[in-house]
Amino acid sequence: MSATALVIGYGSPIRGDDAIGPLVADRLQQLALPDWVRVEARHILTAELAADMARMARVIFLDAGVDLPPGELRCQPLQPDTSALSSMAHFHDPRELLAWCQGLYGRVPEAWLITAGGAEFDYGHFRLSDTAAAAVQPMMQAVLEQLGLHTPPAESALIGS
Amino acid sequence: MSRTITIEPVTRIEGHARISLQLADTGEVEDARFHLTQFRGFEKFCEGRPYREMPALTARTCGICPVSHLLASNKACDDLLAVSIPPTAEKLRRVMNLAQLVQSHALSFFHLSSPDLLLGWDADPQSRNVFGVMQQYPDLARDGIRLRQIGQTIIEILGGKKIHPTWVVPGGVSEPLSEEKHKAIQTMLPEGLEIAKRTYASFKTLLPKFKDEASHFGNLPTLFLSLVSETGQLEHTTGLLRVKDAQGRIIEDKVPPRDYKRLIGEAVEDFSYMKFPYYKPMGYPRGIYRVGPLARLNNADSCGTPYADVALAEFRTLQEDAGPVASSFHYHYARLVEIIHAIERMQRILKEPDILDTRVRAHARGNREEGIGVSEAPRGTLMHHYKIDEHGLIKWVDLIIATGHNNLAMNRSIKQVADAYVDGNQLKEGMLNRVEAVIRCYDPCLSCASHAFGQMPLVIELKDASGEVIDRLCRD
Repeated sequence: MSATALVIGYGSPIRGDDAIGPLVADRLQQLALPDWVRVEARHILTAELAADMARMARVIFLDAGVDLPPGELRCQPLQPDTSALSSMAHFHDPRELLAWCQGLYGRVPEAWLITAGGAEFDYGHFRLSDTAAAAVQPMMQAVLEQLGLHTPPAESALIGS
Repeated sequence: MSRTITIEPVTRIEGHARISLQLADTGEVEDARFHLTQFRGFEKFCEGRPYREMPALTARTCGICPVSHLLASNKACDDLLAVSIPPTAEKLRRVMNLAQLVQSHALSFFHLSSPDLLLGWDADPQSRNVFGVMQQYPDLARDGIRLRQIGQTIIEILGGKKIHPTWVVPGGVSEPLSEEKHKAIQTMLPEGLEIAKRTYASFKTLLPKFKDEASHFGNLPTLFLSLVSETGQLEHTTGLLRVKDAQGRIIEDKVPPRDYKRLIGEAVEDFSYMKFPYYKPMGYPRGIYRVGPLARLNNADSCGTPYADVALAEFRTLQEDAGPVASSFHYHYARLVEIIHAIERMQRILKEPDILDTRVRAHARGNREEGIGVSEAPRGTLMHHYKIDEHGLIKWVDLIIATGHNNLAMNRSIKQVADAYVDGNQLKEGMLNRVEAVIRCYDPCLSCASHAFGQMPLVIELKDASGEVIDRLCRD
């Protein structure tokens, strides 16, 4: 069965709380999620993701933010935005990638951004701060709810457990 | 009365930089500088880590070329182990490196530089971006994405994930190639080759439009440094160092990567966090050299694959007189030749009889206190040099990355473009975009060079000697 929902957690794993997106994606990959859900952990958002996104019904981005109190979550819908161009272009804003979907493939998935407030973003930090770490489980829960998977898989459903 | 024009940040490159142009009374450009304005200090914070962590750690330097750091770092670790890796492992590493080159070159050409090449340097900056390209050339934009997908998917198939795979390990690779993965990679390559060939053919038709830019975009007499194979062919993964001069004479050849310190010195300047490597026998700053696709094609006797060798022969005709292709504008051309070569080479390697061999890793503990790994990243020669203590902990690190090697050449190139296009009395978007565009020819990765991420709006100011702003351009 082809996936119809894509979850992309992105951020740098060596910049402290910036890693929460990929860490949550890693944790989600350990759950026995339905076949229609695909989960990716990425360092940055790159151009070719647009082709994958355009095939999906729904895309959920997971990121860390500095504009929220540490540990707090925010869930917001995203629309394509051509003005969200990254000035550096080796990585992309999710709204920019949605605009790529629209421009190149003629369709845009329903898209959401779930952000967790972070406290520490210094280079060379390999762990989440305590406050950001406390947001991991709620962020996973928010993704499952967004996907309509209201009952989180039991611990026994963890792959390998 | 001297004046300074500042362009900040430089756009459509990876990282954070500023360009300043110092003007004389006459409006002519006296000096040009490319400033790297942020610092991350990977070399320092790696100290004290176990050497086996270095491949995974240094791969985090960059989200675009993690495979390149992974490879150079593992080669430095192979050197610390004092082992020869199994031949099949070397081939598999090579495939991953070539896939990395394809995806990175595709990004540079299709998504960073194509707005200038297809829409023109004087086009409205509001539409001179990848969305403008999508509107006018959607097939080309989709080709670019597909080529990146192919490169990234091969990396994912081999390494288990697209970004920061851990499959390359000290001593080889962690798992052999399965028949299923082998078939999956082979299936994608013909489509990739067709895209590469048609893009190359299309780009050649554009070239006559850019004669003026080609003659001013870093058209410099410099040395060229790269790896070549033992027989002098284009090489990205193993090989020996070669240096050619501006006349095309080989002045260093078959230099083992372990001896790189004999060739390269590193200078610093107070206006940039990026190092200024130079060819040591000629001193600083006379020992200016270039690395990357242009240098690799200039240095190689041949590519060693059919279509790429035809393209290489055509590439050599870009230079009217004898000698290497001198203009940095032709980095774009060289990237397309290298994409063709990379796909052909992967096809060839995957047909070799031992590619599914299960002996892919040499096991050993640290047997040397010093290790050096050199490979060709998409942007040029990448050098990792480590020293460890008796417990295997890192004592000292030196990373010389492609963008650093090109630093002197980038500064000279900006000066040349500014001389030709910048009128110090009035700022025009098109002329300043050309100053940025010459930097984009090198496809610099400042995350690798300094390890800085960030973004801000572009502000260009022209100031007189008293500091008063006499002209200003803004990009929100």
